[in-house]
Amino acid sequence: MTPRTLRITIGALVIVVGLLIIGAVTWVTQAADGPKQPIEFMHTVHVQENDIDCVFCHRNVETGAEATIPAVEQCMMCHQVINNEHPKVRENPIHEAEIAKLRAHWENREPIDWVRVHVMPDHVRFVHAAHIKAGFDCATCHGDVGSMERVKQVRSLNMGDCVACHRENNAPTDCTICHR
Amino acid sequence: MKQAAEGKEQDTSKPVTSIGRRWGMVVDLDRCTGCQACVVACHAENNIALNLEDVVLQQRAINWIRIERYWEGEYPNVKARFLPMFCQHCNNAPCEPVCPVYATYHNQEGLNVQVYNRCIGTRYCANNCPYHARFFNFWERDLDDTHREYLNPNVTVRTKGIMEKCTFCVQRIRKSEWERRQADEELQDGDVQPACVQACPTDTLVFGNLEDENSRAAQLAQNKRHYRVMENLGTDTNVIYLKKVDPHASETSPAHAGTAADAGGNSA
Repeated sequence: MTPRTLRITIGALVIVVGLLIIGAVTWVTQAADGPKQPIEFMHTVHVQENDIDCVFCHRNVETGAEATIPAVEQCMMCHQVINNEHPKVRENPIHEAEIAKLRAHWENREPIDWVRVHVMPDHVRFVHAAHIKAGFDCATCHGDVGSMERVKQVRSLNMGDCVACHRENNAPTDCTICHR
Repeated sequence: MKQAAEGKEQDTSKPVTSIGRRWGMVVDLDRCTGCQACVVACHAENNIALNLEDVVLQQRAINWIRIERYWEGEYPNVKARFLPMFCQHCNNAPCEPVCPVYATYHNQEGLNVQVYNRCIGTRYCANNCPYHARFFNFWERDLDDTHREYLNPNVTVRTKGIMEKCTFCVQRIRKSEWERRQADEELQDGDVQPACVQACPTDTLVFGNLEDENSRAAQLAQNKRHYRVMENLGTDTNVIYLKKVDPHASETSPAHAGTAADAGGNSA
């Protein structure tokens, strides 16, 4: 092996290993933090500091299949008042910037393209209301969202996970209960 | 699986009905006008692919429910007889034991279930079905944005290479179930209406729990005109047909005499 080819090989190796490390680091941080959202909505501020109930925003969770992500209109229900002139907001420049983003969406009449965190396959039927009715807390599946700055998935929520929980709680395990 | 491990054999002579529910349909052929409303409703509800001309010519059209036409007599005295045909949800289903991956099975509610993401497309089940109720997806759905809007979000869009068939609108059964559960109530007769039943203008199709003696379907199934298609095969179907009443039966063939007299029972 000539010194030139050796240098090229080593150089290529360094690049590949470097890329792998970068990939691994982003993967780990992504997994730890969940996907980046268009607006840095903080559940910590809303749930922990201001003690807002989950159902106040995720309105459909007790009545329908989907828990629903609130519309911009619903955010503005509070943020008309809790805007950039609000003393509490002015304390924190991050809050100020993020609320300004929300107001921009509202004024431009544009919905927010939230990144989906909990993705279910197309052939799965999951009804939130049925699980809430059975007495389960949101945290059973979603973890302590109130303490998450950026929402992430805490349970695998794959078929084995669902079936194991259904067995534990004497819920039906027929295929057609979930598969549609 | 557990049973097999213990060396017990499943009793296949009896339907698996441990929860007091066996969904079934009664089809009163005396009322069917062959209008095909059920076919249209089924296509809309279950995201069934459109059967364009080339598809039909290749005999690969998908119709979970179809109206079979039988012609009687000779011109000009021709009569058309209509028979809605769909998955009969047999209690002894010929399609079930031939599936190598257990993608089709009988559930506790008497439904013959097709699990799409288990299916590997061997098509044994369709070959073994005497009713031609199972359909294979030969093509991937090619949906433009407009057609995507027509889809029912509660039903999967099936991919290429898998088998599909009538589900008795299991998504509607599940919906009615949890809606009743939300109100702490039991499922009532008439809560569940598959799309075909809902669309039928003449009330030909009646859906209900055959295990419950008081359900409308079970009552109708007691009618003297009842029969099952290809009953001799021993498939023990959950779909019961009521024979068409022929007003001139007694004049033409003495064997059919008496059926006209039973006609009163069809609105029980």
